[in-house]
Amino acid sequence: MKEESGISEGEHSAEYKVPGGKLLRVHILSRDNIIKSIKITGDFFIHPEEYIDELEKLLMHTKLNEDEIRKKIKRFYDEDVIVIGADIEDFVTLIKSAFESSGHRELK
Amino acid sequence: MEKWRLLLTGAKDAAANMAIDSAILKARMNDSVPNTIRLYRWMPSAISIGYFQGIKEEVDLNACKKNDVDVIRRITGGGAVFHDVDGEVTYSVVVNEKHSMFSKKMRSYFLNEIGVHDEMKERWSNLLNSYAILCGGVIEALALLGLKASFRPINDIIVNEKKISGSAQTRHGGYILQHGTVLCDVNPKLMFQLLKVTDEKIKDKMIKNVEERVTSIKREMGKVKQEEVIKTLKTGFETALNIRLVEGKLTDEEMKTSEKLKREKYEGREWNFRR
Repeated sequence: MKEESGISEGEHSAEYKVPGGKLLRVHILSRDNIIKSIKITGDFFIHPEEYIDELEKLLMHTKLNEDEIRKKIKRFYDEDVIVIGADIEDFVTLIKSAFESSGHRELK
Repeated sequence: MEKWRLLLTGAKDAAANMAIDSAILKARMNDSVPNTIRLYRWMPSAISIGYFQGIKEEVDLNACKKNDVDVIRRITGGGAVFHDVDGEVTYSVVVNEKHSMFSKKMRSYFLNEIGVHDEMKERWSNLLNSYAILCGGVIEALALLGLKASFRPINDIIVNEKKISGSAQTRHGGYILQHGTVLCDVNPKLMFQLLKVTDEKIKDKMIKNVEERVTSIKREMGKVKQEEVIKTLKTGFETALNIRLVEGKLTDEEMKTSEKLKREKYEGREWNFRR
């Protein structure tokens, strides 16, 4: 994390293995505790596949806060989409552990 | 009995193989070809990665280059697969989603196994059920070879508790493309030279782990020629899906589409390096 003139930037990554399921990975760039960019990868399934871009778009500009993240992921699952191999809480855990692993911030 | 088309396209490079699967799906969506099963191999050997995987996270690109191994992103999700030119056979199925074969319920306890979200239960179970139905062709083929195989949700087939086949599917406009690998012979050592291991220190352990979790036809019953496996897969799919496979060819339309897709999509960086 860099701190320049009061603006803090962070890079966070994590991987999470869904018990008995798939491996999820995430890379996040944040600025002032807001997600600036996010890439989610792994061996899960999303139908239709292109919707992964929607999920990432939804998460952009979201606060590094567990409830905010959960709200966005839930909104994604409520769309006309089928996700196989990971549920809402798996994605929340993944993103949460990315913040934690960066060691700079705590989720509130 | 319902007639489907069988395509035996031999061994091709990764971009051609993935372009052909896409072209069949596209032609099927235009209703210009019947339901189709394709059996094929990969030459040179290749790693295919799932739609959502990071190419640099999964694959050691230098090692692939050095070993003349193609790397390609699939249009289907799931994990990385090593398609060894001498060690595996790939199948693909293109069929309409509403085909009557999918009304047969293979299992009813899926939803508890994977913890499904209420509102989508019906669509989830349809999708998962279709994996089980289509994988039936591979299970039947393995049975014909003398191996007792079974389906392990979400998308694996196991023999003696070890994975011998993995599948992945995508759906577009009411049609399913499912493709999958059938392992004839595994080489975990080479596989781990090509795939990234997060921690080099545990590489040996992971190789051992693969030997415990993954098996092959050769390991279970001795060497069977790939051509023999292909023949058996044909009969296996016919029996399991209650269809007759009539050998056919790619149409001119499919050839044209696949050549274009190969050139413009599958050989390009934009597609393969998008994640």
